[in-house]
Amino acid sequence: MHYTKFALAALTAAVLAGCGGSSGGDQTLKVKYTAQVSFGDSLSDVGSYAVGTVAALKGGKFTINGDNTAINPELTGKNWTEHLAAQFGLPAPCAAETGLEGNAAQGFSVARVKHTGCYGYAMGGSRVTNPVGPNNRLTGSALGALTVPVATQIANHLAVSGGKFSGTEVVFVMAGGNDALFQLGSLQAAATAAGTAAGSATFASTLVPLLAAGATNPSTAAAAIGAAVRTASAAPGATSTTIVQAAVGTAAVQPGNSAVASAAVYGPMVVTAQTAATAAGAKAGADYATANGPALVTAMGAAGSELVALVKDQIIAKGATHVVVNNLPDVANTPSGLSKDASTRALINAMVSAFNNQIKTGLSGNDKVLIVDVFAVSNDQSTNPGPYGLTNVKEPACNLTDAAKNPLGSSLVCNGSNLIAGDVSHYSYADDVHPSPFNNLLLARYVAKDMVTRGWL
Amino acid sequence: MNKRFNSAAQVLAAIAAMTLASAASAQSAGTFTAKVGVNKITPHVTSGDMTAPALPNTKADVESDTKPILTLAYMVTDNISAELHLGVPYKHDLVGDGAIKGTGKLGTSEVLPPTFLMQYRFFEANTMIRPYVGAGLTYAYFQKERGSGAMTALLDPGGEPSSYRLKNKLAGSIQLGATLAFNERWFADVGVIKTYLKTTAKFSTGQTQNIKLDPTAVSVGIGYKFY
Repeated sequence: MHYTKFALAALTAAVLAGCGGSSGGDQTLKVKYTAQVSFGDSLSDVGSYAVGTVAALKGGKFTINGDNTAINPELTGKNWTEHLAAQFGLPAPCAAETGLEGNAAQGFSVARVKHTGCYGYAMGGSRVTNPVGPNNRLTGSALGALTVPVATQIANHLAVSGGKFSGTEVVFVMAGGNDALFQLGSLQAAATAAGTAAGSATFASTLVPLLAAGATNPSTAAAAIGAAVRTASAAPGATSTTIVQAAVGTAAVQPGNSAVASAAVYGPMVVTAQTAATAAGAKAGADYATANGPALVTAMGAAGSELVALVKDQIIAKGATHVVVNNLPDVANTPSGLSKDASTRALINAMVSAFNNQIKTGLSGNDKVLIVDVFAVSNDQSTNPGPYGLTNVKEPACNLTDAAKNPLGSSLVCNGSNLIAGDVSHYSYADDVHPSPFNNLLLARYVAKDMVTRGWL
Repeated sequence: MNKRFNSAAQVLAAIAAMTLASAASAQSAGTFTAKVGVNKITPHVTSGDMTAPALPNTKADVESDTKPILTLAYMVTDNISAELHLGVPYKHDLVGDGAIKGTGKLGTSEVLPPTFLMQYRFFEANTMIRPYVGAGLTYAYFQKERGSGAMTALLDPGGEPSSYRLKNKLAGSIQLGATLAFNERWFADVGVIKTYLKTTAKFSTGQTQNIKLDPTAVSVGIGYKFY
């Protein structure tokens, strides 16, 4: 039976050989990068505005700031570029330029400084080529965000690196969101103004004949009341109340029309006029948006093609070989987008897709570019949050309404001390457009997945 | 791998050599047989989705591996035999599939699948070709699960190296095969074993994934009879 002994010995040896447990294994990556250079906006900003009052408020990044892992392990305070820099084995990314040009009394005026060796050019509010983005001082913002456009960010990098990329760095590009938000903001302001103007006109044109109807000579009365309305409307501090007062006052002194002075008589007339005004205002606002929306879609397409040109002519043509371009996320499904009406959301979708189509047609197939379809994943998250581990995809985790806790109403100064109540660790959004640290980790994983698939990681 | 193969082959050759001097007989009751060969295990993976947080439809696939195998059998009667399959650990690659298809090899795992089967061998003990069927149990013992830089990048970029564990499982196996006797001592054997094996992967980042492996093992070998 010596052979069975031998066999048992062989079996024992095999089992003993297998006493190893599980481990991380070989962590070597397919490509070793010498640096991470990041161009873009708030989604990649690693602290361009972490100065002055923003720093004092423990802010600086556009997410839930600070290491709050004591509250929840997911509250790392990191954005996606920080996770990936660590994955590449590179030092934590730092902002290439810091400063604020806002209200000095509020601590938002801090000298601009460029930081040698820091390649985090992405900056909150930055657009593709337009130097004025959201919260730039030229918009009248007290914050005075620098909003250095991506075109200038790239030029700044070339200026400190001998006019070229080394070819051994990984380059991140994620921009265009502020082009959408800024133009939408302008459109909304103009549409509101158009709506208000149309509403006022309709209010007067509806109210005046109603008030004049009881007079002996309605047309004479209407002329007099109309004049009174115009005068009252033009007066400083005019409100609908002062206008109604003037109109009713004038109407009541018209021959045969004294009954209109009674609230029981003029009240319903005012209500009728207000209803007509609201409808007319809404229609005029919507008409304005409809008429001018296509121009925004065109402008977003132009911004997309400008970004394509920058990637080709200023990044790849200057020597970069690994350029990761994230397309625009699903802006219409951010809390900001969700707060808009259906037609505005449709417009946002058209704008985002115009931009993303330019990215796709302009850069796909380029062997030095990896396009990451962030739109697809953010869109899926909005309707299918469960598998992602997201618990809320519609509401901000930061308390943005309490001005005492968050004077900017932005994630820029959001931290562990000014969150809404409850467990927000797996919320999708920190504020109305910016992702939480957890969603930033998901984004880092998604980009990493595409990089691994491409053989870039 | 070659080194391991060689040393295993040497061990098995030694076993055979030590017993060459035994007396002659057919494949009949009371006979011991030892068989050495190569065995290719090919998992037929049906992967569940990785639990949250993960991209929806994140699946896993497991690649095949081939290793030397040692099979010991005892003829209980002329037709009924008990068989034990032993061998060195198989090393399988874990690769991304579904939503993460294309990410390639994310990890490896070794498995020792000792298998015990009861068999029915057709025809007379001294027939040259004897087909057989078998059924039994396989214990899948997983060990040395290894992650990779790619796995870390996918699960926790910039974090601690990610790893995973596979749950050891007892599984049912069925077998179909045939032996071809060259002479009274030596024979060739070819066999296929299908094992119904489900396991669960648990990742260091907290996710789990149910994986049905259902491997098919195909072996060819040379055996020797002892009396």
